[in-house]
Amino acid sequence: MTNENEQSGAFEQRAREVFDASVDGLDARTRSKLNQARHAATAELERSRRSPWLSWAPAGALAAAALVAVMLWRGPGTSDAPPVQQARVQQAPATDASGDAAEILAAGDDLDLVSEDLEFYEFVAYATDDSGNGVG
Amino acid sequence: MTPSGTLEMTLNLRLADAASTPREESVLQQSRALDRFLAGVERRAYRIAQMALRNEDDALDVVQGAMLRLARNYGQRPSEEWQPLFYRILYNGIRDAQRRRTVRSRIFALWPGSSRDGDEEPNDPYEHVADGAPEPSARLMAAEAMEKLESALGQLPARQQEAFTLRCLEGLDVAATAAAMGCSEGSVKTHYFRALQTLRAQLGEVW
Repeated sequence: MTNENEQSGAFEQRAREVFDASVDGLDARTRSKLNQARHAATAELERSRRSPWLSWAPAGALAAAALVAVMLWRGPGTSDAPPVQQARVQQAPATDASGDAAEILAAGDDLDLVSEDLEFYEFVAYATDDSGNGVG
Repeated sequence: MTPSGTLEMTLNLRLADAASTPREESVLQQSRALDRFLAGVERRAYRIAQMALRNEDDALDVVQGAMLRLARNYGQRPSEEWQPLFYRILYNGIRDAQRRRTVRSRIFALWPGSSRDGDEEPNDPYEHVADGAPEPSARLMAAEAMEKLESALGQLPARQQEAFTLRCLEGLDVAATAAAMGCSEGSVKTHYFRALQTLRAQLGEVW
């Protein structure tokens, strides 16, 4: 048994020596790349310890992207109201000024007309303000 | 001046500059400790990965990934814990690389008319040029012996390879090997004993 242990010990010793020699014989290119990898790792440690909140950045970015995706998917025109109510809202005439402005802006062709007759519309607005009931 | 000497000097200067805040000092000390640890294991880790993967670029990728993962996930742990953690990460990386290679080879095998020869990079013309360092016969003999060891190791089951590499070649004790392999100390002893017996049977006479 002792002889067996000695032989095993000699074999292990030989394996270690052979392995160590192969490690020492690594070429300069490999050593240089390992050196660079080590520097990158130590820089990573310093970065993660100086600003630990950065480790949450990917999760934050993912959450923001998910939020934007949900908003885009739902679309700007959808609402929580039932379909019947939505239809009523669409059929109702626009009575307030902001609604009129939105309609004008939404209709691209009409914008040219407005810009061409801008003086006329200014006059109409001025006359309406003065009389309270409009021109005529 | 050697690259490690330059790095040491740079770290010393940075340590002196940043000594104003205890936190900065702690960060730099931890960074220096990690640098020392990695400098001590990087070449051996590379050879282990190279033996397992039989590819230099894959081995470099695996070692680089293991270093980064250790720094990112366990860099703040006490330095005594780094060794088993590092080897565990390294072997996980080796297994992942082997798995990817298996999948790739299956895909290539299914692809009609494909040949893996096209994947290989052209030979480096300077690969076999002598670098001027003395190359005694003992070194050549050691290289031949290492080839035989690599070949015999490659025929062992993966867990026996790990046990032999970590216990014998890296010199980890049983507890650290068990932590690195993620198994019990009894399993380490069993794997190591079987590996040793097989390797001795294969190499004992010719070594």
